Amino acid sequence: MRVPYWLMAPSLVLLAVIVFLPMLFAFYISFTGLNENTIGDWVHAPFVGLKHYVDGLSPKGPLAYSFYTSIKASVVFSVATTLLILPLGVGAALLLNSRLRGRGFFRAVVLLPYILPAFVNGILWRLVFMNGSGVADQLLAATHLGSRETFWLIGPRSLWALILADVWASWPFIYLMALAALQTIPGDIYDAATIDGASAIRAFRHMTLPLIAPTMGLAIALSTINHFNNFALPYVMFGPTPPDEVNVLPLNIYVNSFITFNFGLGAAMSVVALVIMLTPAVLYLRAARVGDTD
Amino acid sequence: MSQSTFTRRRFLQVAGAGAAAVTIPEWLAACAQSGSGPSTSGGTPKPGNLTAFIGKDTAHPQAQAQLMAMIKAQFEKENPGSTFSYDTYASASEETTKLETSAAAQDGPDIFEFGSTLVPTAYATKAFEVFTDDMWNHIGGRKIFFQPQLTMSGPSPDKLIAVPVSGNPFAMVYNKTLFSAAGIKQPPKTWSEFVDAAKAMTNGTDQWGVSMAPADGFDPWHKIWLFVTQMGGQLMDSTGKKALLDSKESVEACAFWLDWMAKYKIASRQFATFKGADEVRAFATGKIGMDVMTGPGGTVTWDNSPVAGQYEFTLGPTVPYGMSSLPPGGKPAQGFVSGQYWTIFKYSKNPELALNLIKVVVSPDIQYQYFKLRAQQPVVLETFTKYPDAKAGPWAALYEAELKAYPTPFFGSWGPLEVEIGKAINRMAAQIGITGSYSMDDLKSALTQVNQELQATL
Repeated sequence: MRVPYWLMAPSLVLLAVIVFLPMLFAFYISFTGLNENTIGDWVHAPFVGLKHYVDGLSPKGPLAYSFYTSIKASVVFSVATTLLILPLGVGAALLLNSRLRGRGFFRAVVLLPYILPAFVNGILWRLVFMNGSGVADQLLAATHLGSRETFWLIGPRSLWALILADVWASWPFIYLMALAALQTIPGDIYDAATIDGASAIRAFRHMTLPLIAPTMGLAIALSTINHFNNFALPYVMFGPTPPDEVNVLPLNIYVNSFITFNFGLGAAMSVVALVIMLTPAVLYLRAARVGDTD
Repeated sequence: MSQSTFTRRRFLQVAGAGAAAVTIPEWLAACAQSGSGPSTSGGTPKPGNLTAFIGKDTAHPQAQAQLMAMIKAQFEKENPGSTFSYDTYASASEETTKLETSAAAQDGPDIFEFGSTLVPTAYATKAFEVFTDDMWNHIGGRKIFFQPQLTMSGPSPDKLIAVPVSGNPFAMVYNKTLFSAAGIKQPPKTWSEFVDAAKAMTNGTDQWGVSMAPADGFDPWHKIWLFVTQMGGQLMDSTGKKALLDSKESVEACAFWLDWMAKYKIASRQFATFKGADEVRAFATGKIGMDVMTGPGGTVTWDNSPVAGQYEFTLGPTVPYGMSSLPPGGKPAQGFVSGQYWTIFKYSKNPELALNLIKVVVSPDIQYQYFKLRAQQPVVLETFTKYPDAKAGPWAALYEAELKAYPTPFFGSWGPLEVEIGKAINRMAAQIGITGSYSMDDLKSALTQVNQELQATL
């Protein structure tokens, strides 16, 4: 049977215009000295070769500290957030997949953090973590677990503040994916397991987990990429000059491109970010053997 | 898989060629587009629709709408058949994004409004009309303005691209009640007197001599520039090609400001997380003695707070700490030229109309409305003659501050400098907030780091 590949042409054209061409253009800009002096005639921006990459990636480069600090912040933030939301999301999905009074209501309520706009989330958590007046410090002081003057928006704790804020906003994503996967599992295999004397934990370990693993693999890959790309939350919580611990790559790229007008450098950092983000995607594709045929 | 006469490979080849055929010609056409603005010599322009992109006054949004309606009415009356509309930006990032996209696309509003520190960047894009003598004369001449304001209109008197439309003078604000309670008879004139006065008003728990905003992205450079200028130093050399963030004066300036929290303890460690808005709110509590380099923007908050009627503006100290007079090369700066400026986009289809609109905006009557409705200082001198209350009461000190304002260097690279100083100060403030102190070695290291980063972009 002839496959009508030509039907894909419109979407490929759209992909080319919206995705591939801008990517190629960004790649080209990363080799130029495009800044506020040349933006008016960007076609003739001077070619600087690998200067931006060398400045940022070479260990002794003038921008190496900023570049590597951002890469580290982004990787730690995205991995830590994903690891924390995974058990939360799967646990909530398991709970809300069972027969529960008011299940429909709870299934809707748990989505609220996910649908809140990112900047609202950022403002909310900035207020929560304000030293002295924020809810976090008030709670710590009331329970004698910490001081009312604990700093969350500066210093090492700023990373935890960012992670907590993003965990709160993003765990429903894992929950949704897990719930969808759980609902594809036929109920009679659990009946058979019960007859065979399997405990709930054993059933979860040997039946549920393997069956939802492919979906959760995709969820982990997407989640990691999303968190790595998160710009709005750190920007709203910490502004354009955040502590080093939360100076994530998207924020650094934004500051270099749109505040200091160093578009060439911003583009180079974007290319590096793309290469880094391809890692979880490639790992997932290899693990899931996507594209393999029987 | 079954055999197909139209293979997947063949399809991809055709689809790719098709996509390229559709997109590349338009891309090249866009690239080839270039603009050459018409001359702007004034005269009677033909009717048209004028557009402007201006900063949103978040403190007085309704007043701004009212003022713009007045400007629109007067402009349309004086230019029958023409209309004027405007759009606003609510943040610096919106402002810069619009500048970048318009400059790159050579398409945008007829008039852009910029803050003074962004005018150098706007100039660098070469996307705005340089005002000729005829154009200045058409709106009343250069002499009608506060002369310091014109220092930020362009890199030199013959290359001015921006017309000042409102001023944002910087001065020191102090709490008269706290001054009186501490027995301080007059505002400090030197930084040594400042520290002594602040100590007298500090109780170490809930009342402090001064507030500060070291976590702000941009507030730090205001203060560091001030101290460095008074010491006779620079943050960038006169060519704009050499960064001097790690110079002796810069290190001393940063140390002095950080010492407000760490050494003199006249500001709370809790202020380590403060941004500009937090600083304004802190002064509104009535528990802060002084706020340095602040403008009239905070009055909206203060007039509805415990500090209402208790604050006053004055010129800030101008002699570095530990000295009794300015050192060689030191300037008695207590604020930099700041305000909003209007520029004419080079690719505007209505440059003559744009000039006529600017003429309306710089008329004394409209300038007075900037003051009356939006608490912004007029920039046209005749306004103060016609409406003396514009420099009466608390505005007297602000008027004097505006006359004595110094320009910041007119380099496009000043924007990156602001960010880099902010980074270094944010880092050190965090150290102080958490540990109560900082190390000079860490400060020097941080400044060397950011200086290197800035230099890499110059």
